Amino acid sequence: MAETAGSSVKARSKQALQDDFLRKAVKFTTERLKNGKRKATEEHGNWEEWRERGRQIRLHTIAHLDYYLNLFADNARKAGAQVYFARDAAEAAVITREIVREKQARSVVKSKSMVTEELHINHVLEEMDVAAIETDLGEYIIQLAHEPPSHIIIPAIHKNKQQIAEVLSEVAGERLEPDTQVLAGFVRRKLREQFLAAEIGMTGCNFAIAETGSIVIFENEGNARMCSTLPKTQITFMGMERIIPSFEDLEVMATLLPRSATGQKLTAYMSAITGPRRTADGDGPEELHIIIIDNGRSRQLGDPDFQELLNCIRCGACLNVCPVYRHIGGHSYGSVYSGPIGAVLTPALMEDPSEWQDIAYASSLCGACWEACPVKIPLHDMLVYLRNRKVESGTTPTAEQVMFKGFNYMMSDHRRLERFLRLGKVGQKFVARDGYIRIKGPLKGWTNYRDLPEIPKQSFRDRWKELQVEIAQQPRTKTMIQDIEQRMRKVLEERSKGGGSGGGHQE
Amino acid sequence: MADTRNKQGSGKARAIYASKERQDEWMQAIADRLGRPRITEMPQHPFRGAPDFWRAYDLQQEERINLFMNNWTNLGGHAFRMSSMEEVGRFLLDFVRETGAQKLMQRQPELMGLGLAEALHDVECTVWDSSAEEMIDEAAQADIGVVVVDHAAAYTGTIVVLSSPDKGRSTSLLPRALVAVVPASAIEASLGPILKGLDARPKDQLPAGVHFITGPSRSSDIENDLTIGVHGPGIVYALVVG
Repeated sequence: MAETAGSSVKARSKQALQDDFLRKAVKFTTERLKNGKRKATEEHGNWEEWRERGRQIRLHTIAHLDYYLNLFADNARKAGAQVYFARDAAEAAVITREIVREKQARSVVKSKSMVTEELHINHVLEEMDVAAIETDLGEYIIQLAHEPPSHIIIPAIHKNKQQIAEVLSEVAGERLEPDTQVLAGFVRRKLREQFLAAEIGMTGCNFAIAETGSIVIFENEGNARMCSTLPKTQITFMGMERIIPSFEDLEVMATLLPRSATGQKLTAYMSAITGPRRTADGDGPEELHIIIIDNGRSRQLGDPDFQELLNCIRCGACLNVCPVYRHIGGHSYGSVYSGPIGAVLTPALMEDPSEWQDIAYASSLCGACWEACPVKIPLHDMLVYLRNRKVESGTTPTAEQVMFKGFNYMMSDHRRLERFLRLGKVGQKFVARDGYIRIKGPLKGWTNYRDLPEIPKQSFRDRWKELQVEIAQQPRTKTMIQDIEQRMRKVLEERSKGGGSGGGHQE
Repeated sequence: MADTRNKQGSGKARAIYASKERQDEWMQAIADRLGRPRITEMPQHPFRGAPDFWRAYDLQQEERINLFMNNWTNLGGHAFRMSSMEEVGRFLLDFVRETGAQKLMQRQPELMGLGLAEALHDVECTVWDSSAEEMIDEAAQADIGVVVVDHAAAYTGTIVVLSSPDKGRSTSLLPRALVAVVPASAIEASLGPILKGLDARPKDQLPAGVHFITGPSRSSDIENDLTIGVHGPGIVYALVVG
């Protein structure tokens, strides 16, 4: 899926913008999710207090991550799980391969997990000639279509019913009607066979409870429960930051995550799994392997600008409110994680972020992502830090560098600026029409998508003297509220007396 | 590769990733990154659990029952209030007779006392048996799964089932229909007390699977069109008793 990394966000989004259905589908879905969230949070009430509590729990856990992660690993082992620490995709692959070989697995059923996408586990299994079957309805569809997910919650958001019917008909060997019930019914039957036949079930992990060594999975379909109930061996992949201290803390996460993701009070299933099946139990996996993944996450620890990224609970609320995501869709970001969180997380996870940094520009810095975030991650600030680091690393295009040097030179002296504007006023006569400059030239990065207003005949600075006279001549209108005016007068008097530095509160 | 003397997998290539040394190395690296010595004592956690105002949230039992049933119905489930287990027994008999369905039941005393297996000799009725090798296949064949829940939460419309030798995880998952018997006294106002109860259990008494179930299995993956019962049960009954 990283294959798309070669082209730029601009190129990929251009393609996405030309796909009319994609754009409408993304807008339709994100709109619904967004409204669902608003309704759920308003209904629940005290949303700000819940957000703040969620943020505090995440901050506390990450600040003491060595303690809590250690406690989790110890407790999970006590419950009978086998726990591994994998630094990167290569180490995760070594562990996975060995377990798969040992179990002589022919097929693996998987429930939705962004981490396994990140690690390319399907590719590892493919190389071993082991079938890796995605069992989340949306993931199953895009796996059959050989496409990467385009939304963290609704991975097949970019496909319509007809397209889905075509893909599934091929598997069924007969023509399936483009009807949701028919299509879902087919997938249910088909995947049921796979669940019962697979030797290994793979899952992700939403939260891991340090004090009990439990993993917690939120889902709506029941496929993660299948993966963790039917196969004899379960492998769970977990980002090292998924930890929370206790089940009590889970109440806060269970309040924030489903409401932010889909507007539900709780997902249809929330499962807490502690170790493999007990000896006398009749079902559940005989072996539970938990692979804890770093893969670039620890790089954010101790980084004042980016540490809060580790607080993310992967709800997707920032995608649904992002004006850029809503237009260009998930694939344009060219990585596993899309939207505002992806724009920050992807470079932050990379060892060499320079090649990915153009996605930091796929945002309007409006701050809607921060407002939507249930744990208040300041994503818009982080996007600015990323841009800043790119400039500092000297990897911005030469033209941009020259332009900003020039801008700096010009703006640091008002006489210089005036001379330049006077020159511009003459120069633009050749290119300005009806008050706008529409040519594509050195300014095309800007003028391709919007018109540049022409330089006005008179600048504000030109008009300033004139304006001052005008104000002085005007009869004093009584627009200002009396007491405010009095206070301001008092400040002015004090200032003219030389008392204090002015500006502070007087009363 | 062939050496299997240690459960953690020593002698295998992956053993180094599961070793205590690796774990310590990781924790030290985290502490270094955070620019302080390693923390090995439990830190003060002043923000543990729900905000204070929420801890005070509680309801009278009748309110809990009504809210639970309302939420369950809004999710697309069916909720009925029953006065006794005998009524539950009659409901199940009617349901099974009318649908001709195969049934699977947890080995719970409340259910065993209903005499359903005897009354239903004309339809198949399996009782969960953890020693039976083919139990999962039986569960996959069943049309209806019957469980008595361990807890329920009114505010979210959630039932909670804990796994045990007598209570399979498959019973609430594989059949197309789930009948959950909910003792009125098991309904809490919110998830809080149930989760706190899990924290309070001795660690070796935590079941392998604790499943919170909120309505039928659902998916919106096809054009955001709601589909019920895509993998788990699509038909879910909550029979509140008492």
